[in-house]
Amino acid sequence: MEIADLHLQLNNRLPLGICVLDADYRVLYWNDFFSDRSGLALADVLGQSLLGLFPQQARYLKKKIDSVLVLNNASFSYWQHQPHIFPFCSSRPITGEETLMYQNIEFLPVECQDATVRSVCLVLQDVTELASYFFAEQQVSARLEQEHSELKALNEKLTMAQHQLLQSEKMAAIGQLAAGVAHEINNPIGFISSNLQTLQDYAVRLLKLTEFYAKVINKAGNETFLAMQRDMQQRLQFDFVRQDLPELLSESIDGIERVSEIVKNLKAFSHVDNAQWQYASLVDGLENTLKIAANQLKYKVEIQRDYAADLPQVYCQPNQINQVFLNLLVNAAQAMDHKGHLYLRAWQQDQSVCIEVRDTGSGIAPEHLSHLFEPFFTTKPVGSGTGLGLSLSYSIIKKHQGDILVRSEPGQGASFTLVLPLQGPDSAG
Amino acid sequence: MMTPLTELQRDALQELMNISMGQAANALARLIDAKISLSIPKIVVVDASEFQQMFQSERYWFTRQSFLGSVKGEVLTLLARAGTETIGGLLDYPLPLDARSNEELLLELANILAGACLHGFSSQLGLPAKLSMPTMFSARQRDSDSFNWASTLLLEVEFQLEGTAFDSRIVICLAGPSVGVLLQQLNALLES
Ligand SMILES: Nc1ncnc2c1ncn2[C@@H]1O[C@H](COP(=O)(O)OP(=O)(O)OP(=O)(O)O)[C@@H](O)[C@H]1O
Ligand SMILES: [Mg+2]
Repeated sequence: MEIADLHLQLNNRLPLGICVLDADYRVLYWNDFFSDRSGLALADVLGQSLLGLFPQQARYLKKKIDSVLVLNNASFSYWQHQPHIFPFCSSRPITGEETLMYQNIEFLPVECQDATVRSVCLVLQDVTELASYFFAEQQVSARLEQEHSELKALNEKLTMAQHQLLQSEKMAAIGQLAAGVAHEINNPIGFISSNLQTLQDYAVRLLKLTEFYAKVINKAGNETFLAMQRDMQQRLQFDFVRQDLPELLSESIDGIERVSEIVKNLKAFSHVDNAQWQYASLVDGLENTLKIAANQLKYKVEIQRDYAADLPQVYCQPNQINQVFLNLLVNAAQAMDHKGHLYLRAWQQDQSVCIEVRDTGSGIAPEHLSHLFEPFFTTKPVGSGTGLGLSLSYSIIKKHQGDILVRSEPGQGASFTLVLPLQGPDSAG
Repeated sequence: MMTPLTELQRDALQELMNISMGQAANALARLIDAKISLSIPKIVVVDASEFQQMFQSERYWFTRQSFLGSVKGEVLTLLARAGTETIGGLLDYPLPLDARSNEELLLELANILAGACLHGFSSQLGLPAKLSMPTMFSARQRDSDSFNWASTLLLEVEFQLEGTAFDSRIVICLAGPSVGVLLQQLNALLES
């Protein structure tokens, strides 16, 4: 076989498109690859301008070929940038979705013996397989990317849920403890309280009796007895006892009342009493509670109401919800030192009703915000706050599968928002 | 380390490079119809970490392409990030450039510059070599050990497009055995 023959055969057997042009873009040669894909035999295109044969890409081809001719240097076209220079189809007409062929093209300067005739050789490589592999990879990595970010979001949710679980477990544990303590303390407190009342009554009578004796001795006027009485009273510091006794007793009664108040709160906190579930208007509840709290709010608190019209009723335990309102109102009044503005707002949001209680009081320090709903957290002086108000409110709202949100900056007042699902706990997913 | 060049060899190489780069700049100027200035080619001795340093700059894009023939090696091209829009305009790219056309432009530019340099270099020395397709290159993550360093000769030249912020540096790196081939050829030229 002649070597030229061999070259020709190779040209046509290689999986490459080969096309040679002269300096005026005229086709000098193209191999079977080009004829097969374009449907034009070499004889049909010989001497014709490649730019005319493929007018769509004429501008790009001309640029590339000119660069080769001017610089006498190879130039390249990449499938990533110019995927389909020649309008050829991919080589998978049966199995593959027949798509346009992805092409890499080299534009090579060709040295001819006659140096005046310069020519350019185009070598076209079908890289459709590579490209589709690349695209598949890209899709996979995009999917991975997405799954990854979904997983991350899920993870964050999980952490949050765990956090909340921990919080409510803590609440539940404290609730149980509180219920036990409340139960144990309730009875002794009952009799201590009633005994103290009786003691107070007896003390008054005893004091009256001693007064009567003193009067009698004074009237008799017997110097000896009078001296004995003075002596005895001095020794026993009776003047002081007479004064102190009633005060001690009434302080003790106050104290025991406070203790029983705490116990009552503890019992409420642990839901010992089972309140009725029913549909009720939250705004009515808030207004009724306002009347009860009026005592705390009456002085210089100005109340501004902004209630949305036609708010639907909410399935809830109205008494418990009122308890929450009361806690919020009392806290607000205390934070404002009983003077300032109280803004009450109610509106619907999707399948929930929201109630906001906002005050212009002292506000809450950022470091306190995360502890607000913890049982026994209080910043109030000993004796005036148990720190149970908000934790109790929290557990009531959670039982309704609602939410309680706080916003506050120190000195700017505080805002508490309740979000309660219209259909009660079972509706809220 | 680097195969030492004698003073004489270095001067000769520099002179040859100078001529060939001038030709490259001319051809390029004709293609894009703009004025191009170039530095005197440097034949640099750098160690691995200095070499690595070249690719740490935020100022450049990097491409690489290998060449094969009587000498072997790689051409690395540093292309300024500033001013590519201007060149894109000169080279008939639709503006503004998006990421894809920017990469296309960079690869074309690198190919033109590297091709011109290598062509000059190999024709002056009579050492034919063919360049492969350029690809984008990021050396930031690679440590200097991973470069096949042992004996690499660097020929460096800077192109500047007048009136623009654009500049580029072409670095021809010769692989070990090719340095010997180059020296032989140089000596032959010096003797004649
Ligand atoms: N509206 C508010 N403005 C500023 N601080 C508030 C407000 N509401 C609650 N707080 C802060 O949250 C703490 C906890 O409130 P919580 O109602 O649970 O307990 P308390 O009011 O201290 O005691 P209790 O309600 O049992 O009398 C308060 O001590 C106070 O520091
Ligand atoms: Mg309170």
